[in-house]
Amino acid sequence: MGGTVLVLFYGSILFCIVASAVRIAKYLTAPLHLRWELYRGSSVYELRDWWQKSPRRLGERLAGVILDVLLLREFYRRNRSFWYFLFLFHLGLYLLFVWHLWLFITAVTIPFEAAWDGGLVFGHIGTALSFIGGSGIVIKRAVDRELNVYYGRIHYVKWVLILLILAGGFLAVVFHFDSDVPQLVRYVNTQVTFQNLELKLHPALGPASHVFFVSFWLLYLPFSHVLRLFFRYYQYLRWDGVPNTSGSTIEEKVTENLDRPVSWSAPHIKPGKAWREVIRDTEDL
Amino acid sequence: MKTKKTKVSDISRGRDEPLLEISSQDWIPLPCTTDQSVPIRPLTDEQRKQLEHSLDDVSALGIPKPKNKAEEEKLVQGFLNGLRRLLSQDDNWTFWEPLVYSLESCVRCQTCSDSCPIYISSGKQEIYRPTYRGEVLQRIINKYIKKGGRISSKLYGEEIDLNWPTVARLAELAYRCTLCRRCAQACPMGVDNALISREIRKLFSQELGIAPQELHGSGTILQLRKGSTTGMTPVALRDNIEFLEEDIAEIAGRRIEIPLDKEGADFLLLHNAGEFLSWPENTEAFAIIFDALGISWTLSSDLGGYDVGNYGVWYDDVQLARIAVRHAEIAKHLKVGKILIGECGHAHKALLVLADRLLTGELNIPRESAIPLLEDAVCNGRIKLDPSRNDFPVTLHDPCNMVRLTGIVEPQRRILRKICPQFREMEPHGVDNYCCGGGSGFAIMSSRNFPDWKMNIAGRMKFKQILETFQDVGDPDTRKYVCAPCSNCKGQIRDLLSYYGAREKYNVFYGGLTELIANAMVDLERPFIEWEWH
Repeated sequence: MGGTVLVLFYGSILFCIVASAVRIAKYLTAPLHLRWELYRGSSVYELRDWWQKSPRRLGERLAGVILDVLLLREFYRRNRSFWYFLFLFHLGLYLLFVWHLWLFITAVTIPFEAAWDGGLVFGHIGTALSFIGGSGIVIKRAVDRELNVYYGRIHYVKWVLILLILAGGFLAVVFHFDSDVPQLVRYVNTQVTFQNLELKLHPALGPASHVFFVSFWLLYLPFSHVLRLFFRYYQYLRWDGVPNTSGSTIEEKVTENLDRPVSWSAPHIKPGKAWREVIRDTEDL
Repeated sequence: MKTKKTKVSDISRGRDEPLLEISSQDWIPLPCTTDQSVPIRPLTDEQRKQLEHSLDDVSALGIPKPKNKAEEEKLVQGFLNGLRRLLSQDDNWTFWEPLVYSLESCVRCQTCSDSCPIYISSGKQEIYRPTYRGEVLQRIINKYIKKGGRISSKLYGEEIDLNWPTVARLAELAYRCTLCRRCAQACPMGVDNALISREIRKLFSQELGIAPQELHGSGTILQLRKGSTTGMTPVALRDNIEFLEEDIAEIAGRRIEIPLDKEGADFLLLHNAGEFLSWPENTEAFAIIFDALGISWTLSSDLGGYDVGNYGVWYDDVQLARIAVRHAEIAKHLKVGKILIGECGHAHKALLVLADRLLTGELNIPRESAIPLLEDAVCNGRIKLDPSRNDFPVTLHDPCNMVRLTGIVEPQRRILRKICPQFREMEPHGVDNYCCGGGSGFAIMSSRNFPDWKMNIAGRMKFKQILETFQDVGDPDTRKYVCAPCSNCKGQIRDLLSYYGAREKYNVFYGGLTELIANAMVDLERPFIEWEWH
């Protein structure tokens, strides 16, 4: 059993990294598409000779993105009743991230006995918020027709898994480690420094069940919305509002695109030729 | 059964039985007695016999029914081939990334639903929900394109069978969205369901050759062959311009030349061809203002040079690129400094935004909207204006393509605040505006019973907005003006006002922005706006 958890856990980490890398590569190497922006207010096109003006600064746009991601601002503006639970859930996740980060750093940098007991508060508050938020989301999804109209059964499995992870982590800390932070930090240190293979192969039930559920989560993570959102914002920050000027990278990419063959089959398109030829060939239409 | 409870899997059911039986009882009410609630005309028996109509008993496309099973299967296979191309980076480099993102990223929160004027106006009919068509497409992809899809799709719930009724309904469904992208603006995840509609349209056009006649045969094909979607030839254009010059002479009290094919001009002004035929006063107003400003400009009589419209934006990337390149080649040939885009919303999107990733080298000629130039003329006192000449209630319709999709929001407002003492905003406005209901080609699509659907459902929210905006000046003796700086929007608003009798009942007129500026010019001998219905 312990060996299985071990293989599953490290296997899931490996899978998560590889699958994420494959997906990232697929998006990063995607051809530069036609511009299709939306504007939340005035754009550079309100100006005469707009192509001579600098696009908005990266820092300004990045700040907007960070606020969007952390506060889920668009949900707040457009779907407030859903936002309450969604925000609680995500706020809890952020705290849990801080908690785990603190745990790992503490485990390898200071003596276990010196670990701050109060650190546990981050973990418990984070767990509680995520659990309340997650449960609220599941209930709301189940009872509100607008939220369940196309919500597939499989998605509820995802939420059950998340709630199990949260509950498992909490129970492990409270019952297996007796809420004793130095004991917990010592355990983490042993795990991350690979000092005790026996402990890895035969972990106690509490930590093992938490790790077991987390492993499944890691298998799912590369296909979740997290990675997709990353691409959305990456593309926004990298290309939106950047004009195609002579000799620019964009012009180079557009030129490459126009050299691609056209493959569509409708009568007004002659397949086999490159885009640059097809779009200039309007003789036999 | 036929209204709000429609399920995703219903798209593949039965043959001729419509998924939705449209009832005027479901539509949102209008704030006046103008609410005719006239039912949508049914298709004729002959049309029902020959054409696909199983979505909602409305036919926008006029797709002929397949003659036999083999033809059906060929069409279904063609659809599947097209779908594979849509999902290929090589075949669909133009939109692969935003399409795949939109298909994969919906969290089913339905935040977008309440932003869709068609969904709301129809009384929240499920098939018009912005996410419905994306949901259908995604489930087809999951089941028929992805590896192991036949098994995994069972885990998800409601399965869709890919058969001819599914394909035919999906084709029509892509033309129940005006591509206004209000749903995309509302989506917290940045999912663009309007793009999904457009990509479905594209699949049908580029793979199966299925597109509305008004957009393709009489649209982009005619424009590329004859020079304009109106069928106007270069010879007819020259005659038209002579007429415009005579008309201007009567208004201005002197002859103003409209330059044509002038090489080396600073600006090549591209109008939508609809202006020359239906709203010549718009082209006249531009000529009068440019003359007053002493601008070096020209029109073009080259094939396509007098029609900035680009219907490819709405349904076909190849046609979009062909027309954008044609416009750029004309500007290059005339050796002009810039292309200036007149009052045409989708041309703004096509030439300023989309074409930025299509034109390279010498064809990447500077292109800008005419609106900032007009703002400069009005707000910096470059022409003499008397706002009291526009002392009547004026409101502004925001063309989606110009505002939400290109980000030109404020200059037109600053102009109107300066020259129209009774200017008032519609609510909501700016980037949150409602589409006129004629977007994505609907304004010119008038076959079978589609116009009834367009007036009653697609345009209902806009007409409601117009009435509400002028509610405090309901007196029929007071002339009211809806300013729509877009040729397609003008066409749709004209049809809406006529359909509901708003001109007779409420004295509501419509027109462009430039006409209001010309109307305020003190140098003209008589008022520019004649309050005549076109």
